[in-house]
Amino acid sequence: MPDSTDSAGAGAILRRVKNLPAVLYAVAALVFFVILFSILNPAFFSLFNFNIIGLAAMILLTAGIGQCWTIVTGGIDLSVGGVISLTSVIFIQTVPRLGVWAYPLCLAIGAACGFINGNLLTRIKIPSFIATLGTGGILVSFAYLISPVATSAPFVPPSRFDPLDVVNGAWLFGIPNAFLIGGLFFAAFLTIQYFTVTGRNIFYVGSNVRMSWLSGVNIVRTKNMAFMFSGIGAATAGLILASRQFSGYPTIGATYILSSIATVVLGGSAMTGGAGGVVNTLVGALLMGVLQNGMTVVGVDVYLQQSLLGALIIVCVWISFDRSKVEIVK
Amino acid sequence: MTANSTSVVMMRRMSKRFKNVVALDRVDFEVRPQEIVGLVGENGAGKSTLMKILIGLYQPDDGEYLLNGRPIKFRTPQEAMRQGVGMVFQEGCMVQNLSVQDNVFLGHEDGFRRWRVLDRGAMRRECKAILDRVNLRLDPDTLVRELPPAERQMVEIARLLWLLKRYGAPNPVMILDEPTTVLQEKEVATLFAALREIKKEASIVLISHRLEEVIENSNRIVIFKDGKYVDQMPAAGADIHRIEELMVGRGMRGNHYSEDKQRIPAPNERLRLENVSKKGFFEPMSFSLREGEIISLVGLIGSGKEELTKCLLGVARFDGGRVFVEGKERTIRSPSDAIRHGIGHVPIDRRQEGLALDFNVADNINMLVLRRLKAHGLISPRRERENALHWVEDGRIKTPSVKTKCGNLSGGNQQKVVISKWLSSGVNILVLDHPTRGIDVGAKEEIFKRIRALADHGMSLIIMCDTLEEDIGLGNRMIIMKDGKVTREVECPGDAKPTPQDVIEAIV
Repeated sequence: MPDSTDSAGAGAILRRVKNLPAVLYAVAALVFFVILFSILNPAFFSLFNFNIIGLAAMILLTAGIGQCWTIVTGGIDLSVGGVISLTSVIFIQTVPRLGVWAYPLCLAIGAACGFINGNLLTRIKIPSFIATLGTGGILVSFAYLISPVATSAPFVPPSRFDPLDVVNGAWLFGIPNAFLIGGLFFAAFLTIQYFTVTGRNIFYVGSNVRMSWLSGVNIVRTKNMAFMFSGIGAATAGLILASRQFSGYPTIGATYILSSIATVVLGGSAMTGGAGGVVNTLVGALLMGVLQNGMTVVGVDVYLQQSLLGALIIVCVWISFDRSKVEIVK
Repeated sequence: MTANSTSVVMMRRMSKRFKNVVALDRVDFEVRPQEIVGLVGENGAGKSTLMKILIGLYQPDDGEYLLNGRPIKFRTPQEAMRQGVGMVFQEGCMVQNLSVQDNVFLGHEDGFRRWRVLDRGAMRRECKAILDRVNLRLDPDTLVRELPPAERQMVEIARLLWLLKRYGAPNPVMILDEPTTVLQEKEVATLFAALREIKKEASIVLISHRLEEVIENSNRIVIFKDGKYVDQMPAAGADIHRIEELMVGRGMRGNHYSEDKQRIPAPNERLRLENVSKKGFFEPMSFSLREGEIISLVGLIGSGKEELTKCLLGVARFDGGRVFVEGKERTIRSPSDAIRHGIGHVPIDRRQEGLALDFNVADNINMLVLRRLKAHGLISPRRERENALHWVEDGRIKTPSVKTKCGNLSGGNQQKVVISKWLSSGVNILVLDHPTRGIDVGAKEEIFKRIRALADHGMSLIIMCDTLEEDIGLGNRMIIMKDGKVTREVECPGDAKPTPQDVIEAIV
């Protein structure tokens, strides 16, 4: 127990700092790295570069926001990569025939994947780590099976109206469409989190599942919804990726399994559930985007980047993880 | 207090501050050889702080600490243990998936080393002897997690006694912090029988909220209030009301449960159970609950009352029988069914089952009614705030703001949040499962008043209390269960309450 004498000392300041919401650390880190990279290479601080960072961040944002609710409920979604791969492949294949209708189709597929994940967890009672590891593998395999690489000609974008423009290249009110989509996506999820019963229940369940059940919260439905939103988020990421790269392929999503989790954690959401959310994830996505881009811009070795990013994630969890609830970390 | 050469522990003018809070203010405390001293006071009275100084977990800011007449200063609990002073903590601390024997010797296996290997045979014999000291006959190889809470605690006590003796203290001092909260009545008796045995070779400091127990089982009672020593008295012939007065600092005699406010329930029936049963737990039973009525459900653990309420709340299911709410037959398959039919539940374990502790007061109060707080299809922050403020005021919840985390409130205020949460939802049947468990005497009285006021406003309540006095004092009627059967129904009118002695034979 602290004595009154050291309340003004360094220890007290450190304790006060530790009590700040985790998201503030992420914001501070974001500002710090933007300044750092700008000093190291002034080219970093340019509208052109911010555009690139923004696009990368939008993909992380869409994948991460879905992920963050599964983590808030105390679960995890490892099928994000599989959903991204599958939807990108399906999108590229269906867009010539369906046009803009390929978008809702892919989102529905993402939601369906999430629904399956959720039910594996809630009804068949397989831990989400295992269930989504399994479905993630299955989805990647589907992506390979329907991928036209070996059998048909490479994809050629249609010449007249190009539905890919919805995401890619097009601008509205002077803002790139990708940002508008990311912004709308964020606003929608923010609204759900703060102003709907489902959004609130996701957090109650994450904080205390038994109490939630005793208070009449439909646990099955709430967790299913969290996973469905994760599927929709991943599908959105898949659509943006496919539109930007003019292609979809089965390995496109692989890196997003871990980077979606990293995005959530960097934003300060707790892996123990019940805390964090979409605002944290937005900051996490921006931070991740700035780091990935900035390290390249200032010339950090590509392979070294991985270890720096890894170290940063560990530091983030060290700061944000609330150890008061658990005595021994497993 | 005068210096006493025969005392084991003598503390004088002990003071301890935490930041700006004075936890202990020049407190005197004495432990004599071979006695059980009961230490009582409300939460925050300074009992735990003093005990932590006693075992070296905290250092006092000021004061004198004599052990067997010599001044002493413990820097760690290990040092204190070597000198024969140790504590069994409220929560207990044993490794669940190790055996009793392994737990008893955990960290102290050195004496059993033969050729660098532990002599398990000798350990086993020693363990049996240790358990024997507290009349505990069980196989040392039993896993701790398989033991009932009572036996677990006895093992801990036996272990502590052995450790204290091991270092040769002539008269060890054992501190027991709320040892009976997890125990059933029969187990409590066993515990105290063992403590009386231990008393022959040690002194015991007993901290407990249950004053009856303290009076019955200790030699001397010391009362603390707000970090100060208030009074002490021999336990023999001590008056419980007098002790309560000293603890709370105001009169509490009579009308403890607002019996004068007890009203005759309205005639209309709110809940009727017809021949409900659950195999292995309780046989077909029927009763009905009227508007504004308080029924005390009384019985030992295993009487079936717990399972009955679980079924009513949708946590478990009835095997047979019918449930009528407001005259309509209802099926309750889950807690959400129960809530839909207007049945709410204030659980015994509010931290695990009643609250989201890391959420704020408003989030907890509003939890059940978010749907009603919508405007234009979305939850309205303004209405959320209004609803929370209303119920904070209604429930007299002492909180800095509705944005305060529930985990930071006192037990009494947490309980008020749980009650407010259910009231706000508009249920009209409320099951209160030990509503005053772990709550201070002063806060208890507020909860009693609250319960009375609820009934007055037409709420129908089923209560299960910590003590028979509470059950009798609060209820309009008692339903007494034993071994899965209703043994008696007793009317408890406000002006003619039965005494515990009148009904006890129906219970045990």
